[in-house]
Amino acid sequence: MTSGLSATSATTEPLGRELADLASVLRQSTVEVRTGGTASGSGIIWTTNGLIVTNAHVARTERAAIILWDGRTFDGEVTARDPRRDLATIAIDVGSAILPAAAIGHPTDLRTGDVVVALGNPLGIAGALALGVVHVVEQRRGGPRWIRADIRLAPGNSGGPLADAHGRVVGVNTLIANGLGVAVPVTTVARFLGDAEVERANVKYRGDRAA
Amino acid sequence: MAGPTTPAPTAGVLESLSNDLAGAVDRAGQSVVAIHARRRIPASGIHWRPGIIVAAHHTIQRDEEITVSLADGSSVAATLVGRDPTTDLAVLKVDEAKVPVASFAESSGLRVGALVLALGRPGSAITASLGVVSAIGGEWRTWHGGTIDRFVRLDVSIYDGFSGGPLIDAGGRVLGLNTSGLSRGAALAIPAETVNRVVDQLLKSGRVARGYLGLGMQAVRLPAALVERLQMPNDIGLMVVSAEPGGPGDRAGILIGDVLIAVGDTPVSDPAELLAFLGGDQIGKPVTAKLIRAGEPTTVAITVGERPQQSRGSRRGR
Repeated sequence: MTSGLSATSATTEPLGRELADLASVLRQSTVEVRTGGTASGSGIIWTTNGLIVTNAHVARTERAAIILWDGRTFDGEVTARDPRRDLATIAIDVGSAILPAAAIGHPTDLRTGDVVVALGNPLGIAGALALGVVHVVEQRRGGPRWIRADIRLAPGNSGGPLADAHGRVVGVNTLIANGLGVAVPVTTVARFLGDAEVERANVKYRGDRAA
Repeated sequence: MAGPTTPAPTAGVLESLSNDLAGAVDRAGQSVVAIHARRRIPASGIHWRPGIIVAAHHTIQRDEEITVSLADGSSVAATLVGRDPTTDLAVLKVDEAKVPVASFAESSGLRVGALVLALGRPGSAITASLGVVSAIGGEWRTWHGGTIDRFVRLDVSIYDGFSGGPLIDAGGRVLGLNTSGLSRGAALAIPAETVNRVVDQLLKSGRVARGYLGLGMQAVRLPAALVERLQMPNDIGLMVVSAEPGGPGDRAGILIGDVLIAVGDTPVSDPAELLAFLGGDQIGKPVTAKLIRAGEPTTVAITVGERPQQSRGSRRGR
């Protein structure tokens, strides 16, 4: 390992720059989700034409206000909700605009110790970044079940992205358990979106409590 | 899902860091084991020397029927070699451990600001937290009188099952053993040099012997006139509030209410000073206890005994 000044210039400065770059890119794809009241959650721009993915416990109502990082605000319609997976989709009509959809990563490739970042609106602070590492990826048959991360999250991070060192989203931050951030892997989101496609015509809105 | 997505920024240094940390976890994790010796979730341990597992004393809540899960997924029976409650360390022996022994960092790697990972195996999977060494100090004494060569405080989140796991550097080398059993919940690491010393003693004799008087003490302030008359260095003494029947103090005739002010030539005004005096080397030796009894100074000769072994871990800590 290098030491002293050379380490500072060769490693630490680029590290800070890369983190800042990564945060600014990921921030573009992170939205604030408001469903009335004071509390707000986060969401991820999944497609360029306005499909937002968030937690079911964030999208409690039929409609939600979606606030982009640049301040544009849209009236969103909750189009699918799965309280069991704690996932929901919200559609917004962006006309001919193209939204900065998040890059999606591969949670199956995550290893314990990998660097992860979270973007969101913890305690109402918009676009806040948190840095941490993968604590453990909990497996079940056929893939990851939960991503547990040693990262400092707070209410308001719910529904926002957990991303790898490339800024690719690997999970949806969902809850805090024993101090650990717990995220639903994007592989589960993909399955949810597949199911949601089928059930689109039959969406139920219920005032389920947070998972 | 359709359409172009935002290009992810190229990650050079951040990706290297991520790879380094995950690589360090993978390498060091090979020698981290899960120890099943309590009712709730398993605790962690380190394959320290061939066939020798080191764990946190407070997580070993039974002396028998201990099993250890290794990184390769196998489970083996372990026998308890001994425990040292004063440093919160326990040593276990396993017959066959087909996993590597930990590799160790130079002790100079323990520096404030050093990037470190705390590993645990509270089950089958390895778990990690990232942080920095937040403070380093000199030799210190634990609540129970154990000597830790250096004080290592961590800014690392501690989770259930983390005690007994290693503190590693970014290269996957072990710097020490983490425990929450020596502080009220804060993360501390016992440096590898201390662990080595205790392991040597436990392998040799199954215990770390400590001197013992069998007296319960409470610090008390003495009247100014008395302090002046006896020309004491300070006005605090240790009042005897309990005496183990048949213990070294009781046999020497120490009475409840006596106020101890010195052992040998060492003034004592804090129970920690007395614990520091009562090292294993004092066992069997006579010491002169200077007391105040009924307002008058007196001396009593006590033969230092050996502290009885505490068998079980406490339920405190993670």
